[in-house]
Amino acid sequence: MKLQTRKLLDKSFTGLNLFSAFLLISALIIVLGPIFFKGIGAFVFKGTVEYRRMIFDQFGRGNKEKIFKEIAYSQKARKFIYDNISDFEKGIIVKSYIKETKKIYKEYKEYLSSLELPNPHKNELRRKSRSLYSLFIKALESTDKEKVENILNQILSDPYRKRFDSTPMTKMFHLVTRYSEIVNQVDLSNREVYLENLIDLKDQLRTLLGPFPKDPKPILPRNQYGQTRWDRSLVKLNDVLFIEKYDYSDSSEMGQIVQYPRSEIFKGTTVEHIFSYLEDNRESILLPKTVFYWRFFTDVPLDSNIFGGIKPAILGTFYLTFGALLFSIPLGIIAAIYLTEFAKENWLIQLIRTCIGTLAGVPSIVFGLFGLAFFINTIHVSSSKSVLAGSMTLAILVLPTVIRASEEAIRTVPHTYKEASLSLGASRWRAVLTVILPAALPGILTGIIISMGRAAGETAPIIFTAAVSVGQPLKLWETLSQATPALSWNIYNLCTEHEAVDEIRHVQYGMVLTLVLLVLLINIIAIILRARINKRLIGRT
Amino acid sequence: MKKIRIHPGNLGKQLLSTGNTRTKRILSFFGHSLLFLITGVSVVSVLFIFIFIFRDALPFFKLEGFKEFFTSTKWYPSSDNPSFGALSLFFGSAIVTTGAVIVSVPLGVIAAVCLSDVLSFSLRQIMKPVIEILAAIPSVAYGFFALVIFAPLLQDSGGNLLAISSWIVCTPLILLITIIGSGLLASKISPVNSLYIRIIAALIIGIPLFTGLWFLSSHISGIQISSGTNALNVSIILGIMALPTVVSVSDDSLTAVDRSLREGSYALGATRAETLIKVVIPAAKGGIVAAVILGIMRAIGETMVVWMASGNAAKIPHPWFNFLEPIRTLTATIAGDMGEADQVTGSSRYHVLFALALCLLLFTFICNLIGEKFIKRSKKITR
Amino acid sequence: MKTITILAVFTVLCCLGIFLVNPALAGNPRSKIVVDGSTTVGPIAKSFAEYYMRMNPVVNITVSESGSGNGAKSLINGTCDVANMSRFMKEKEFKAAVDKGIFPVAHVVAVDGIAIIVHPSNRVKSLTIEQVRDIYLGKTKNWNKVGGTNKRIVIISRDTNSGTYETFEKLVMKKQKITQNAEYVGSNGAIRTRVQSTKAAIGYVGLGFIDKSVKAVKIDNIYPDNNSVSSGKYPIARPLFMFTNGYPKLGTHLHAFVTLYLSEKGQEIIESIGFIPITKY
Repeated sequence: MKLQTRKLLDKSFTGLNLFSAFLLISALIIVLGPIFFKGIGAFVFKGTVEYRRMIFDQFGRGNKEKIFKEIAYSQKARKFIYDNISDFEKGIIVKSYIKETKKIYKEYKEYLSSLELPNPHKNELRRKSRSLYSLFIKALESTDKEKVENILNQILSDPYRKRFDSTPMTKMFHLVTRYSEIVNQVDLSNREVYLENLIDLKDQLRTLLGPFPKDPKPILPRNQYGQTRWDRSLVKLNDVLFIEKYDYSDSSEMGQIVQYPRSEIFKGTTVEHIFSYLEDNRESILLPKTVFYWRFFTDVPLDSNIFGGIKPAILGTFYLTFGALLFSIPLGIIAAIYLTEFAKENWLIQLIRTCIGTLAGVPSIVFGLFGLAFFINTIHVSSSKSVLAGSMTLAILVLPTVIRASEEAIRTVPHTYKEASLSLGASRWRAVLTVILPAALPGILTGIIISMGRAAGETAPIIFTAAVSVGQPLKLWETLSQATPALSWNIYNLCTEHEAVDEIRHVQYGMVLTLVLLVLLINIIAIILRARINKRLIGRT
Repeated sequence: MKKIRIHPGNLGKQLLSTGNTRTKRILSFFGHSLLFLITGVSVVSVLFIFIFIFRDALPFFKLEGFKEFFTSTKWYPSSDNPSFGALSLFFGSAIVTTGAVIVSVPLGVIAAVCLSDVLSFSLRQIMKPVIEILAAIPSVAYGFFALVIFAPLLQDSGGNLLAISSWIVCTPLILLITIIGSGLLASKISPVNSLYIRIIAALIIGIPLFTGLWFLSSHISGIQISSGTNALNVSIILGIMALPTVVSVSDDSLTAVDRSLREGSYALGATRAETLIKVVIPAAKGGIVAAVILGIMRAIGETMVVWMASGNAAKIPHPWFNFLEPIRTLTATIAGDMGEADQVTGSSRYHVLFALALCLLLFTFICNLIGEKFIKRSKKITR
Repeated sequence: MKTITILAVFTVLCCLGIFLVNPALAGNPRSKIVVDGSTTVGPIAKSFAEYYMRMNPVVNITVSESGSGNGAKSLINGTCDVANMSRFMKEKEFKAAVDKGIFPVAHVVAVDGIAIIVHPSNRVKSLTIEQVRDIYLGKTKNWNKVGGTNKRIVIISRDTNSGTYETFEKLVMKKQKITQNAEYVGSNGAIRTRVQSTKAAIGYVGLGFIDKSVKAVKIDNIYPDNNSVSSGKYPIARPLFMFTNGYPKLGTHLHAFVTLYLSEKGQEIIESIGFIPITKY
């Protein structure tokens, strides 16, 4: 091969190398980028008035006066919608009319019997009122517009009308007049269709704005409030404005999706206007405002993580991590000291090393099975899943990491240190404790910190030993006997088993971000620490 | 060290303390044994893990025998007449591990070479943390990424994604081939070293290759992926997860190769590429093999990612190398089925999970032994 | 000495972390109720637990969703107080329980219907139970065989480790095995996601998971809704259980918790998370 080619080849080889490094970095960015970007959304977002209402009700935070003012303001803006719907409802849901009419008729009968009039006269009025009453009921129940209009006109132009003046029957005539106005706007023959659509519309509005003013208070917090986040509100607003319909006309293809505006369904009725109103006034209805929800870390979750924060999970992860370290650090460091300073290289030590290697390679799920079978079912460290059992399982998991890192750190301590100490007359124990260990401490610490990150992020070992999906934040002594939510497990649980997976994406992202940040923070401390040690070592030698 | 302060007066005592008094020796012996016992904890743990897994796995083989477990692909543990053919599970684990190796080993080894020999010291200081951070990201976060971000992406625009990645993978390769080929071709055509001839030769080789790639990628971009949670998704993510292991272990073995070897090669007139490919990498072969084995162990033992994003269909894809179909692995089966398997009744459904765990355990154990052997051998060679 | 300082600062920071999030280290010991078991009953148990803990902050209720079998196991081993199960206890489990001196009592907290769902663009509106079975057996491979478009059916099933799967297997498959071509998904929500993103897919989910993004088909001409399920007309439905060891002592928190479903509030909770309450007010 020619020299030039060889040179070119050399250059391109270098290029390939750099390219692989670039790929490595981009892999990191591709994985972490979306998690960071979307995870921030759990903390910084545009909260609606519903959000502030929820925070005030459930967590007792916020300026009461200001919030009430805001609520009043948004209620005023929403009034148009609620009024129009309730007007329309009267034409569609005639039950209330029938009820009212019955009440009026009853009232009138009582009124009539209290009057002092000759009986035939009374009877005549009674007959007449009954016929008017039954006519109106008939009109209410009918869906034929012409017929209804005829009846209503007949009632209104009744010759007896004057004679009912200033009796309870006037109320009925009022009703009739109002109803005849509604009938002009509503297509009565479509009443059934309207009814169905109205129920659907009201449900959609409830998810957007929260319960209607006259609704009884729902029991689950998720139903008590509308959309608390502006981004979700816009999605839900779209659901209110449009219906997704499918067009099945082409029989050789699957149905095609059609975005059908809801206002078309209610065309010509009072409800028609609310859609454009809603779209135009969405900001004054929901009052979005950017909030920084740092309390996400310290709030307890509410209603299966739909509202609130992730405090119990964070706390659980802390407990599990520190518990694991509590067991693994002494064991690990002592083992490392033994292996480096005292052990003679024989088959037994060889076996121990092989076992440590094997332990490092055991799949994490097997640790979970082992933890369940050994710690809980055999030696009963606790009656059921507990932080203690989980920590112990994690401790075994990180033990090889701690041992290896400590070993490595102890080995890097220059031999001269030990020799100097021994030559000054210190015993071997003393040399280890007072000279080697302090010198190796930074390295050991790095190993510990790295295994801390590992323990915080592991999921499989705690599934069967420590993690639950719902639980209160634990107090320190309760960790001995009780299980806890933990970040890693709850991420899995929320993104696969939660009933409203799509609605709480922001919580999932927030949780992942928290876990990743936690682990990264721990690792960055380790990295910085190691850089310092390196500098020192370089400086010394 | 500042810590050691010895008063002159105590010197005699200190010196005497090394004397072999009886009590001291006994104490030392006890201390020694204590340390040994504590060190033995890891041995005991391994032993217990084996015992506990084995104890619960044994009843399965007693009840159901070996044949179905290892040869059938019918995995119906919950049915009234259950069948426990775990072959498809083994296959699932194998295929994602293979995929992870395909993703991580070439990239990882090249990146390790880059780290050990190409990058300057300061750039290395940047790259090392990147690798460490990749290693530190919890598996559940990777699983979340695979399930929530990657799977929908793969399902919606999988074809294009595959096409782009085929470009990313193939372009460097084709460039390499073109450079080597054009060099050879140019030297065949004319002995005179002319830039024009070289360019023409490069065009002759490069153009057909790139058009081939173009056709390939346009063909690939037409592929519709029916399910984003499939073997490909998991393979890529597991590959990224195994990368740090592969990179750091092979980097270690590459840096361990003695400087004199490199210098010798340079002295003979070799370029850096030639030195690396012909001298350094062969010398560090053992360590690189060990890195691959460790990477395999990492991939096969991973639970959360495969549980969340593999699709969990217990079947062998059709055709068998089809990475675009969902599969099910051993670890995901253990994690998922454990909850529903009724332990108390001693049913095979419970014990089969331990049988799976035992297989995993044995596999990683053997892998570990082989890996250790390779590391040892590479240490012998390089030192 | 620098390292020691760093070490000290680090430890202090860590401790601070714990104490910051856990300001109340003192307080009365809380009683605990451990709930374990089915993922299907999980949402009910979780909502009940949160509701109950809000009313009675002195109780810590932990809910794990690890599967019906695990629930039974935990109850028998005495490691949980309430076992959620989406199926009834098996004979062997009962025996094992009684042998250990534990007497499982079933509380039927709700009824759940399993809806067969397809993509909304699918023109199929109604299937018979036999047709569903044939699809899941792999006999019917194309939608045009059951009145749909010419498209290969993508079969989605719950994972074999779920109570939903077992119920489906029992009520629809009648002991026959689901084809190996089926794709297995880990949760109800995941099935819905798979179906809404795959036009030719068929799947089955609990009633509470039906929304506008998927279409539930009529089975034997009966649409799955609260009425048809609670009246027993809809064929694929099952009761959901909470098992306790003996009937809980009256007046205890455990008693109040497992009988929450009888109260009006409990029923409203059940209904608003998509299950069907046992009684109606």
